[in-house]
Amino acid sequence: MRTARVSVVGLAASALILTGCSSGGGGGDEGVSKDDAAKQQVKYEFGDEQASTGPAEEVKGAKKGGVLTVYQRDSFAHLDPAQMYVSDEGSMSTLIHRRLTTYKRDNSGKYTVVGDLAKDSGQSSNGDRTWKYELKDGVKWEDGSPITSKDIRHTFERQFAPFVSEGPVFIQQWLAGKSGTGYRKMLPDGPYKGKHLPDKVLETPNDKTIVFHFKSPQPDLPYALGMAGYAAVQEKGDTKEKYDKKPVASGPYKVASFKSGKSMKLVRNDNWDPKTDAVRHAYPDSHDIQFGVSYEASTKRLSSDSAENKTAVSYSNQVDASSMQEVRSNPDVKKRSLAGYQPYVGKISFNMDRLKDKKVREAIAYALPAKSLMQAFGGSGGGELGGSYLSPTVAGHTGADPYGKAKKPLGDVKKAKKILKESGKSGMKLTFAFQNSPEWQEFSIAAKDNLSKAGFDVQLKDIVSDTYYDQIGKTKNKYDMYHSSWGADWPSASTVIPPTLDGRQVQDGASNYSHYNNPQMNKEMDRISKITDADAAAKEWGKLADSILKEDLPDIPLMYYKQIQLHGSKVGGVVLNDVISGIDPTQLYVKK
Amino acid sequence: MLRFFSRRLAGAIVILLVISAVTFFLFYAVPRDPAMLACGKNCTPDALEVIRKNMGIDKPIPVQYWEFMSGIVTGRDFAQGACPAPCFGYSFANSDPVWDTILDRFPTTVSLSIGGAVVFLFIGLGAGMIAAWKRGTLADKVFSTASLVLSSMQIYFVGPLVMALFVFNLGLLDQPKYVPLSEDPAAWFMGLLIPWLVIQIIFTANYTRLARSSMIEQLAEDHVRTARAKGMSGKFVFFRYAWRGSLIPIVTIFGVDLGSLLGGAMITEWTFSLPGLGKLAVESVQKTDLPMVMGVMLFSATFIVLFNVLVDAAYAFIDPRVRLA
Amino acid sequence: MTSPSQAAIAGSETPDPDGVGLTTEPVGQEGSSDQQVGRSPGQLMWIRFKRDRAGVISAFVVIAMFAVAALAPVISSLYGKDPWTRYGQLREGLLNDNGYPIKANGGIDSEHWFGLEPGLGRDVFMQLVYGMRTSLSLAVVIAILSVLLAIVIGVAGGYLGGKTDYFLGRLTDLMMSFPSQLFFVAFVPVIGALAVDPQDEMPTWLRASVLIFVMWLLGWMTLARLLRGQVLTLREREFVEAAKVAGTPPWRIVRKELLPNVVTPILVQSTYMLPNFVTAVAGLSFLGVGMPASTPDWGRMFATGAEVYQSDITYMIFPGVAMVIFIVAFNLLGDSVRDAFDPKSGR
Repeated sequence: MRTARVSVVGLAASALILTGCSSGGGGGDEGVSKDDAAKQQVKYEFGDEQASTGPAEEVKGAKKGGVLTVYQRDSFAHLDPAQMYVSDEGSMSTLIHRRLTTYKRDNSGKYTVVGDLAKDSGQSSNGDRTWKYELKDGVKWEDGSPITSKDIRHTFERQFAPFVSEGPVFIQQWLAGKSGTGYRKMLPDGPYKGKHLPDKVLETPNDKTIVFHFKSPQPDLPYALGMAGYAAVQEKGDTKEKYDKKPVASGPYKVASFKSGKSMKLVRNDNWDPKTDAVRHAYPDSHDIQFGVSYEASTKRLSSDSAENKTAVSYSNQVDASSMQEVRSNPDVKKRSLAGYQPYVGKISFNMDRLKDKKVREAIAYALPAKSLMQAFGGSGGGELGGSYLSPTVAGHTGADPYGKAKKPLGDVKKAKKILKESGKSGMKLTFAFQNSPEWQEFSIAAKDNLSKAGFDVQLKDIVSDTYYDQIGKTKNKYDMYHSSWGADWPSASTVIPPTLDGRQVQDGASNYSHYNNPQMNKEMDRISKITDADAAAKEWGKLADSILKEDLPDIPLMYYKQIQLHGSKVGGVVLNDVISGIDPTQLYVKK
Repeated sequence: MLRFFSRRLAGAIVILLVISAVTFFLFYAVPRDPAMLACGKNCTPDALEVIRKNMGIDKPIPVQYWEFMSGIVTGRDFAQGACPAPCFGYSFANSDPVWDTILDRFPTTVSLSIGGAVVFLFIGLGAGMIAAWKRGTLADKVFSTASLVLSSMQIYFVGPLVMALFVFNLGLLDQPKYVPLSEDPAAWFMGLLIPWLVIQIIFTANYTRLARSSMIEQLAEDHVRTARAKGMSGKFVFFRYAWRGSLIPIVTIFGVDLGSLLGGAMITEWTFSLPGLGKLAVESVQKTDLPMVMGVMLFSATFIVLFNVLVDAAYAFIDPRVRLA
Repeated sequence: MTSPSQAAIAGSETPDPDGVGLTTEPVGQEGSSDQQVGRSPGQLMWIRFKRDRAGVISAFVVIAMFAVAALAPVISSLYGKDPWTRYGQLREGLLNDNGYPIKANGGIDSEHWFGLEPGLGRDVFMQLVYGMRTSLSLAVVIAILSVLLAIVIGVAGGYLGGKTDYFLGRLTDLMMSFPSQLFFVAFVPVIGALAVDPQDEMPTWLRASVLIFVMWLLGWMTLARLLRGQVLTLREREFVEAAKVAGTPPWRIVRKELLPNVVTPILVQSTYMLPNFVTAVAGLSFLGVGMPASTPDWGRMFATGAEVYQSDITYMIFPGVAMVIFIVAFNLLGDSVRDAFDPKSGR
C-alpha cells in the first residue's frame, strides 16, 4: 500500500517547506557535485532490536561539557509534540522528545529506522494491519517516573482533541480508517472526558506493550512513528493547551526556560539514560537557543567566528543569498561550512483550472528565467538549474530538460512570444503569486520582465510568508501561477510524483498545487507503485515524470535547491542529517 | 498641581481610548481570518470554533473591543490560562501572553533608549554649549557644521557603514546584541555600544544646534546681562543663569524624543536586529497578530502621552515663571 | 504684501520617532528698522538671500536634485540605460556566480557609472535617479497636502476660536500622540489590502496614494499648531480689527490680511518638512512597507544595501551620500530662507 507511505512523506516534506527552509545556501567553489547528490540517494531500512539498543556510537573526538549557542531564525511555535509540524521544531524536538521509533544515522552516513522508546522498529502481523511495540526498560520522563504504555496510549488519544490542530494526522486517519478530518468523530474530546479508544483499535495489554490495529495494511507505520509529531506525551503532566509552552521531556535535554520569539535554554535531563538510546548524545551541558536571528545575521555572526560565536551553530539557519560571496571566497569561513543538496525541487505551478490552454503554459515555461531564480538564492551555492520534476538526489532522475531551463537559463522570450501568439492569447492577464521574501521578490521582478516581453499582462501578487502555502493550497485560489517546492522524504520518486501530481489528491491544503488530474497518468502511478524492484520502479517513475512534463506541463521545474550551513570553530560533530534536512543537534559537541 | 495632573491624565486616557479604537477597528477590516491561519491544515469546523473561542473572536467586533478593553483593567480568562490585569490577551501567532512579551522586550528598548539618550545628551549639550561659549571661533564652526551633516544621516545608512567598518573590517567590536544588564554588565555594554553610537550620531546634532542657539539667546537676556554688569564672572553667569534658562526648549525636545524612543525605536532595532518593542511591532504587523499590535501600539502611545505631560510639568520646576494651569 | 511684515515663530518641531528631527529656534519679533523706502519685504528678502553664499549654493544643489529627478527619462536616454533592465544577468562577465559584480567597487566602469546591483544586476545610477524621482514626488505631494491641511486647521482654529479652536486643538493633540512610525508600518498594508481585489497586484499609483494618505494624515500637526498661534496673535492686531470693523467678510480677512502674514513660517516649515518626508518614506521602504519592488525607490536601495554591505559596501554609498547631500542642502536652504525673511533670528 504505497499511498500510505506517500502521504507520510508528503506530510513531512510539506512541513519542511512551510518553514521556508528553501532559501539560500551553497557550497565552496566546487559546491556539491552530482556524485554527492547520488550519495544522498540512500535506502532506509527497518532496524531490529540490536540496531535499536543504546548507547549510540560515539562521535570521534567528542567531549562532554560546554555550552552551545544556537541561532534560529524562527521561534518554535510549538513545544507540544502533537502540534509539531515544521522542520526546525523537528530538529529541536530530537533533543527533548522521544518517539516510538526514530531514524539512526551511523558514522558512515547510513540511515536506519530503529526503535527509540520501543525495543525495535515494530513487529507487524496480519498483513501489516497489526503492529506491536514493546517499550525499552529504563526509559523515564524528566521527573523520574517511567514511561509506560499508558503514556503512549494517551499520546495518541490526545491527538484527537480539538485543540490539536497542527500536527500530523496520518496515524489518526489510519486508526479511524477515514480520510480527511473524519477521524475526529472517533474521539471528539480526546481522552480528557474519560473516553478512550477501544482495544480493537489501540491496545495496551500491559505496562510495556502497545498494539495498533488498523483496518487496512500500513507498512509505513515505523516511518510515521519516527516523526516529531508522534513523540510521547506524559499523561500525568499533560496540561492541554499549556503543554505547548511547558512539555515534559523524555530526551537527553529538558526545557529550562522558553521565551517565545526570544530565547530558549535546554539543560541536561538527568533521567535520560544513554544506554536506552541508540541515536542521541548529550555532549554539551546546555543548548542556549536565540530566536529572531535572520539567516543574514546568523551567517554574519558565524562567519566572524568571534569569541562567543566560536561555540555557536544553528540547527537550520542557512547562509543567506547575499552572503554567499563572503562564505565561498573566504577560506577561513569556507572550511567551517557544510554544503549539500536539499531534497527540494523549485517549480512554478500552473493553476490548471485557470490556465487550460497548454500553449499558454508552454509560453510561460519558455519565458521564465531559471538563472534569475538561482541568482536570487545566491548563485550556484543556493541551487542548480534544473528542468525536470525529480531532483538529482532522487533515484530515477533523468536529467531531461524539455523546456531548456538549463540550456537557456535566461529564458527564451522570442519562442515564448511566438507560442503565445499562436494561442491567440497575447496580452492576457496573468497573476503570479509569490512569497513575500527577498528571494522571491527578486525573482518576481525578473519573471515579470520576461513575461511582459513575451506578451503577458503580468500581475505580481506577494503573499505574506506565514500564510503563503495556505493561500495557494486552496483549490479555489484565484492565482494563475505560483511557486512551490517539493522534496522527497526519502529518496524514492514514489514520495514525489503521486503527492504532487496524482489528480485524485486534489483538495484544499493538498500538495497537488496545479490541480493536475489526468486519469491515464493516475493509472500509471498505481501501476508503478506496485513494482517491488526498487531500481525498476525508479526508472519507470523517471519516465512517467518526464512524460507528464512534456505532454501536460502542469508545473515548470526551474531549480534544485542546495544549502550551506555554518558553524563556529569550536563546535564538533557537525553532520547534515537528511531526515531533518539540517545539522543533527544530537551529535554536536563543544571543543575544549 | 493636582488639578493640572488630573486634567492632563484624563486627556491622556481619552487619547489612548481613541488610538485603541482606531487600531482595533481598522485591523478588523483586513480580510484575513487569524483563526483560519492558526487552525492549520487538518482543520474542522469544530476545531475552528474552539480556536475562535480561544482567541476571543467569536463575538461581534464591538463586543470584542469591549472585552479587550475591559480585560486591560479587570483581567480575563482564556483557554491558555487566566490572564491577570493588565490583560492584553494572547498572541494569535504563538499564544504568548501579550503583556509578558511586551515586558520581556521592553528592557531591550529601555537599554537602547536610555543609553543612547545619555550619550547624545552629554555630547550634544556639551558641544552646543562650547559652540555657544566660543561663538564665532573655529570650534563653533566645526561643531555647527558637523552637527548639520550628522543630523542629515540616516540610521539605515550609518548603521551598516559602522558595522562594516568596526565589525567586519577592523574586527574591533562584535555584532550588536542584547544581553540583560543584570546578567552580564560588560556584555550588555559592549553589545549595545554600536547602536548607542549610531542613534547618538543622529540625535546629538539636534541637541548641539538647540543648545547652542538657546544658550546664545539666553546670554542676550536681560537678567543675564544684568548679572554680568554686576561684575559676576563670565563662567558663573554662564552656568548659573544662562544654562538654566536654555534648558526649557531642550527639555521639551528631550521629553518627546525619549517618549517616542521608549515606544520602540523601530528602524534602529530593525537595523541591528535587537529584540525590542520596535522589532516586535514590525513582526507582529507582518503576522497580523492583532493583540500584539494593539498591545505595542497602546504601550508606545502611553509613553508618548505620558512624556508630554511630564515635559509640561518639568517646565514648572526649571522655570518658576511657568505656572501649571 | 499689503500689511506690515511680521514674523514670530515660536515653539519647536517634533522630531519623528527614530530621531531624525529638526528644530526651529525661537525667533524674535522683527523691528521696524528694516522698512527702507521703496523696497517691498519680498525684494528685501531676495536681496538678503542672495548675500548668503551657503544659502545660494544649497539652493542650487536642491534645484539640481529636483532637476535630476524630473529629467530622469532624459538622463536615461542620454546615458543609454534604464532602471529595469537586468544588465548583470543578460550580459556575461558582469556578475560572478554568487551574483556580485566581478569588477571592483561594485562594478563601477565607464558603462555603469555607479556600478551594478548585486543579484538582479540593474544599473545603480539609473536606480538612484529613478528612485529619487519616486521618493521626491511622494514627498512633495505629501508636503503640499500637509501644508494645505495645516493652513485650514491652523487658521480656522486661530481665527474662529472658541469651541472650534478647542476641538481642533484636541484633534491636533490626538494626532500628535499617535506613534507615527508604528502607525505607518501597521496601516499601509491594511489600507492597501482593503482597496485591492486580493488576486490583483496593487497598482503602483494606489500604493503611492496609500503612502501619501497615511503620511499626510500624521504630517500636518506641527505646522497647524504653529499657524494657530500666529493667527491667534494676528487676530488681535489693529489692521485685522480695522478690517473687521469695516465689515470685510471673514473669508476676505483670512485671504487678504492673515494669510500673507503667515507666508514666512509656512515657507520655512515646509523646507524643513520636505526632507523629513523623504527620509520617512525611505524608512518605510527600508522596513518593507514602501513602494512595490518593481518600482525603483530610494528607500529600498537602503534595504538592499543593508543585505549586501558585507560583500559590496559600494552599493550603499551612492544612495546614502546622495541622501546626506540632499538633506544638508535642504536644511541649509531652510536656515537661509528663514534668515532672509527675518535677519534678526538668533544665529
